[in-house]
Amino acid sequence: MRKYIEFARVQMQVHAAYSAWFWANTFSILLRMLVIYFFWKAVYSSRTEIEGLPFEGMITYIIIAMFLQMFVSGVGQELAHTIKDGNVAIELMRPYNLITRLVAMDLGDKVIHFVRGALPLSILAFIFMDITLPSTWQSGLLFLFSAFMGIWIGTFFDLLIAILAFWTINLWGLQVMKEAVISFFSGALVPLILFPEWFQTISLFLPFQAMVYVPVAIYTGILTGTEAWLALGSQIFWVVSLFVLLRILWSIAIKKVTIFGG
Amino acid sequence: MLSRYTKLYYLFCKQNLKVMLEYRMDFLLGVLSVMLQQFAGIFFVKIVFDHIHALNGWTFYEILFIYGIAATGRSIHHIFFDNLWTLGWQYIRPGKFDRLLIRPINPLFHFIADRLQQDGFGQLFIGIIVIGTAMPHLGISWGILEFFILVVMIIASGFIFVAINLFFATLSFWMVDSLPIVWTIFNLSDFARYPLTIYHKGIRHFLTWIVPYGFTAFYPAAYFIKGSGFERLALLTPVVAIFSCIIAYWFWNRGLKAFTSTGS
Amino acid sequence: MIVVKNLEKHYKIAKRDPGLRGAIKSLFHRKFETKKAVKKINMHIKAGEMVGYIGANGAGKSTTIKMLTGILTPTSGEVKVNGIIPYENRQQNASHIGAVFGQRTQLFWDIPVRESYELLKHIYEIPQAQYEETLKEFVDVLHLEPLLGIPVRQLSLGQKMRCELAAAFLHRPKVVYLDEPTIGLDVAVKVRIRAFIKQMNARYGTTVLLTTHDMQDIEEICQRIIIIDDGSVIYDGSIQDIKSQFGDKRVIHFELEDAADSFVLPETISEVTEVLPRSDEDPHLVSLSFSNKNISGAEVIHTMMNHYSVADLTIADAKIETIVEEIYGRGMKKEVQHEEIH
Repeated sequence: MRKYIEFARVQMQVHAAYSAWFWANTFSILLRMLVIYFFWKAVYSSRTEIEGLPFEGMITYIIIAMFLQMFVSGVGQELAHTIKDGNVAIELMRPYNLITRLVAMDLGDKVIHFVRGALPLSILAFIFMDITLPSTWQSGLLFLFSAFMGIWIGTFFDLLIAILAFWTINLWGLQVMKEAVISFFSGALVPLILFPEWFQTISLFLPFQAMVYVPVAIYTGILTGTEAWLALGSQIFWVVSLFVLLRILWSIAIKKVTIFGG
Repeated sequence: MLSRYTKLYYLFCKQNLKVMLEYRMDFLLGVLSVMLQQFAGIFFVKIVFDHIHALNGWTFYEILFIYGIAATGRSIHHIFFDNLWTLGWQYIRPGKFDRLLIRPINPLFHFIADRLQQDGFGQLFIGIIVIGTAMPHLGISWGILEFFILVVMIIASGFIFVAINLFFATLSFWMVDSLPIVWTIFNLSDFARYPLTIYHKGIRHFLTWIVPYGFTAFYPAAYFIKGSGFERLALLTPVVAIFSCIIAYWFWNRGLKAFTSTGS
Repeated sequence: MIVVKNLEKHYKIAKRDPGLRGAIKSLFHRKFETKKAVKKINMHIKAGEMVGYIGANGAGKSTTIKMLTGILTPTSGEVKVNGIIPYENRQQNASHIGAVFGQRTQLFWDIPVRESYELLKHIYEIPQAQYEETLKEFVDVLHLEPLLGIPVRQLSLGQKMRCELAAAFLHRPKVVYLDEPTIGLDVAVKVRIRAFIKQMNARYGTTVLLTTHDMQDIEEICQRIIIIDDGSVIYDGSIQDIKSQFGDKRVIHFELEDAADSFVLPETISEVTEVLPRSDEDPHLVSLSFSNKNISGAEVIHTMMNHYSVADLTIADAKIETIVEEIYGRGMKKEVQHEEIH
């Protein structure tokens, strides 16, 4: 355990060193917030609500979803590159579990991103962009728990995709495709209640809505009561099944390295 | 001179295409993924317009048209000038840039010609489809002249993307890798996907006169949209493109000079 | 062919205090330190000469070569290659020089070697007939036939270097700069590469400037060597001269049982041997340098064994670095600069 904490700590320091990327990120997020704000302002210029959501509710949903989406990907990129350049064989000889190590590093990443990026930026958003607090303190608490689950689902999914690097070549393409699918189905762009009926039904059976939509919908009061608890249940289901799937796929992939030499 | 470079470019392209065909799976995956990415953006607009009729007076097809021009223009950059992203970390830092300097051809030409980015074809494809879908709904009749202007506008849009990226990539000559800056500036182009009229005046002016992303999609599209009020400004698009390219190339030469005197 | 007069290159290095505070401070106020990488170098290389350009890592070799190829602009001084100032007319200069830069490939990574050559043919505007003739010749001498269809990234180091060399000479350049062309290669490939370089020189009168750490390369290829240390030319002369002066140089490293802090040379050999500067890393190590004209290695070892308890010893060859250090240490700098042999 101790060594994994150490990995997480080192990762935080690595990030503190790359300040150019930190500012680039912060600035890009600010830009995106501006685009979102003006876009939705224009959408609401001639109406007061869409599907029961007033402007404040919508902008709150979109901004929080945007922040959450930044945390639902993980260290897949890193794993994929380790696989691609053949270093995975060396990594497997080291006295730690590669996946656990990567997840620990990812955790370090996320903590530092939260503290340095998401937290100050969301405070800015609260002050300047009509973002509201959760409707009740219960939904606030539930949101925290649900967001936590959503982040794990995203992290596991990211690693699952990365393992595919054992069989594919174009990592960049795979990454872009994953991002596109997640933006589509997770409800990161618009609340899923705006989608056509059939689309909502499909996404109910996919893990993506559990990454972003469920927590943010709980926060904004779109999901309440029994509906919220059911959604939480589905999140737990996805965390467990993705974790199991990840372990299985990883062991198959490792067999490929150890038997066929990568 | 020109014919020599045309021929050389053709030869570089031929080699790049051969490599591309060697990795067919990669090609398909790349094209498909970019198409999916673009599609997500369009889908978003569609969903929003299922609930509203107009965005600040702009119809769905008008927004789609702006989006299509942005995607097509950007694809020119993505396919032919994608190497600009790699100047710092793939050429200057590992010392590969020196190779270009000991060849008897223009180093910028060589650098650009070194890569053809297959994934951009996905963007081109989607862009053309989107423009094609939106065109009949704009309420103008499309003659030869309109088509010609559209093509010119799209090419100009592409070269504005190129000029902006070239300008900021050039910073790599002084700071080893300017990728974070290039990337941040590139993200500004997100503004260009929607009508500039929805933004605050300051943003609008910034995207028109400082970093001219407005001319990559909104203004050229507005030329074809009746009563948009920007028809005159739209005609400036090719001028802005040429002007941006000149500035960027001048800056590149400055950078090259700095590079050859520090050699870091 | 190559004329270099009072060539200097200074680098400005930004000094920064460590830590975040230093980083912030450097944003507003930067302190620079000037490093002189090349100091007042003079050389004159005639057409068709093959010259070894040697010196330790960081001595200023690659900085000089970068200025000769036009990649770098000098701080002061003058360079003319074939009558052209390379850093002012870089592209013009580029059309009649060739270069191999150690491990960095000049070829196109993903495409087969033959296609790379095709592209180079167009880049350098080589006439078709000449191209075919040259390529055929290179394929024979360097045994390239089986490699032509393979992408560069799949070649082994030795195969790649053979292809690199062919690429560097393909347009029959007047001058070729070779930076470590044999590094990491096996003996058979080295032999082939040396033969090729000599053949090119004999046939086309190509001027060759070669930097290497391999003494064998120098001995077989070059008639003349220029040694650079700390940015200055400290030797410029024929290879025979340097060999007769320093070829008998030997160094033996002794690993003593005890720490060698209080080591004193045994009196019997103190006239003819010299203790090299000790390193801090290994307190037990003592290195003795001598000429085998004055004393035999066996005798040095014998004497040392009698006076100290020796745990281990290694006999080093006359490495180029040792010679450079030796020349520098003897203060021959002034002597050779006055000589102006060529």
